[in-house]
Amino acid sequence: MTLTATHLLALAPPILVCATAILVMLAIAWRRHHTGIAIVTVVGLNLALLSLIGVWRMAPLAAPMLAIDGLAIFAAVLILVAALACATLAHAYLAHHDGPREEFYLLLLCATAGGMVLSASTHMATLFFGLELLSIPLYGMLAYVYGERRSLEAGVKYLVLSAAATAFLLFGMALLYAETGRLDFAGLAARLGGDLGAWGLAGAALMLMGLSFKLSVVPFHMWTPDVYQGGPGPAATFLATASKVAVFVVLLRLVMAAPAFQDGRLHDVLAVLAILSMLVGNLLAVTQSNLKRLLGYSSIAHFGYLLTALVIGDGLSIEASGVYLVTYLLATLGAFGVVTLVSSTPVASSDGGGDAARLHHYRGLFWRRPYLTAVLTIALLSMAGIPLTAGFIGKFYIIALGVEAERWWLVGAVILGSAIGLYYYLRVMVTLFLAEAGMQRHDAPENWANQAGGVVVLGAAALVIVLGIYPDPMITWVRHIGILTGG
Amino acid sequence: MEIAFYLSGLVAVLATLGVITNTNPVHALLYLIVSLIAVALVFFALGAPFAGALEVIVYAGAIMVLFVFVVMMLNLGREGVDQERAWLRPQVWLGPAVLSAVLLVTLIATLWSGDGGRMIAGEMLTAKAVGTLLFGPWLVVVELAAMLLLAALVTASHVGRLPGPTSPKGRRDAGARKEVS
Repeated sequence: MTLTATHLLALAPPILVCATAILVMLAIAWRRHHTGIAIVTVVGLNLALLSLIGVWRMAPLAAPMLAIDGLAIFAAVLILVAALACATLAHAYLAHHDGPREEFYLLLLCATAGGMVLSASTHMATLFFGLELLSIPLYGMLAYVYGERRSLEAGVKYLVLSAAATAFLLFGMALLYAETGRLDFAGLAARLGGDLGAWGLAGAALMLMGLSFKLSVVPFHMWTPDVYQGGPGPAATFLATASKVAVFVVLLRLVMAAPAFQDGRLHDVLAVLAILSMLVGNLLAVTQSNLKRLLGYSSIAHFGYLLTALVIGDGLSIEASGVYLVTYLLATLGAFGVVTLVSSTPVASSDGGGDAARLHHYRGLFWRRPYLTAVLTIALLSMAGIPLTAGFIGKFYIIALGVEAERWWLVGAVILGSAIGLYYYLRVMVTLFLAEAGMQRHDAPENWANQAGGVVVLGAAALVIVLGIYPDPMITWVRHIGILTGG
Repeated sequence: MEIAFYLSGLVAVLATLGVITNTNPVHALLYLIVSLIAVALVFFALGAPFAGALEVIVYAGAIMVLFVFVVMMLNLGREGVDQERAWLRPQVWLGPAVLSAVLLVTLIATLWSGDGGRMIAGEMLTAKAVGTLLFGPWLVVVELAAMLLLAALVTASHVGRLPGPTSPKGRRDAGARKEVS
């Protein structure tokens, strides 16, 4: 199948993002201007977001190696929103950075395009290139403030471990190709049929391993806390939101399309991974004294909850994972956004450099920055799944799905995990409201709410509340995606 | 032709084992080059001469350049000469040389018996076929690879940058930070 004009039109969003990246590159070569580059980036991302409305009318459509269906558009919306938030947060964060600041936007745009391609891929080649285009700019983004030891460490750690995981993924693809002679998901599914040979099973398991690493599912989670802690705020935000959404969507697509991933044994493995992630992620988060590490462990647990929807894999699971992804994205953007804004002022090197993320930096934040604290509180409440926040709707879906499928072990793990989660989320919240004199070392700039970064976190918090009280539009939208995808 | 395929495959496996068991990076590189040439021969036997030629030009060629860079970055002088002499002991070059000789004999034997234009199975994949495939249905992937290279290049150039003269403030801060840590 060759590329036609219709396909090109349907691929407009990633093409627009790539074009913006090239424009940014040329602009950097011509003249460096931080705010100007940030504006170009945001305009490009917004254009891509707008073009999705047109693409929505054309869906579902099968371009060569890519599917433009409901799921792809849904993922593209989430990734673009996350990228927009990261770009605006980066503008606040990098304002005090010495040295070149503009390349960050270029890398951000490349990673965004990679995520969009990855979530739309229906072929091993696009899966691999999408994943790499998502990961390689992330190395640069994580190590962006390479003067800080921790940032460099985060970048190198992610580079080495991610390359090893990619090797597993490639080996799995090679085994599946040897078994079937096909690389597209549909052909793969047709050739494999119901029966999965030893090589097919090994290939599917290796691929699962590679993708689980990117989702930081236990036991492939070792890198997560260090990388989250060391990476600069906006890069960690992107890693926790857009990158994970894209990888999860492609895993969802694989599980739906290829019977290789509907094998009974693999499903048991997935179930064990889900339970382990929920329990280990939540238990390790309890002892953390660094907010970014804590959020890292909590994201491990959240992907354990999401894997539950994948394991059950019946009619409602796309809807449940869609709703959960939306709520996770909003809450994470809010929480990481606040951390980034608080870290936006230069940090005293006596504190080990890096971002202001230790819990004692946040002690009594409420008495200095009440609105910012409110945003963080709402985000944490949503992650804990308290009613009236969006997180409750997501968790409700997951538990309802588990109960309906009568998978009691999974439901039990979700409930136990949420209970542990509530403890450490509340612990952070208590810290926020403790009043203490003389702890003013890290603070957001005075006028943070007037700037774009402040608008982003306030918007995320407002959406968390609105969708928690009135989730109907979100559910209708996500349900529409399930129909368009045909899953 | 089958014998050529299996012999080159065997050489590739042995040479790759040599790569991962060697502790000296330069010795490992020697084995790596042999391994890449053996893989190129496998491609020729499979009827993909274009992929084989690319393997030789890009991989073996690029690795050779890397090799040259490694040698360039070493401090040359008396120690360098001693180093070279130490490298030229038979136990270093004997393994790769034997494997390369096997490859050469395979190649010559194949050409001698007039097997040159044949392959194991399937049809010949010429450069033209590869090109139409790449710039037809695989166009998206080619463009993605271009973006990937751009991202990798920008990452490398940013992280590898020294504090330049354009930001004296940054340099001073970096220095101060170094003193503190």
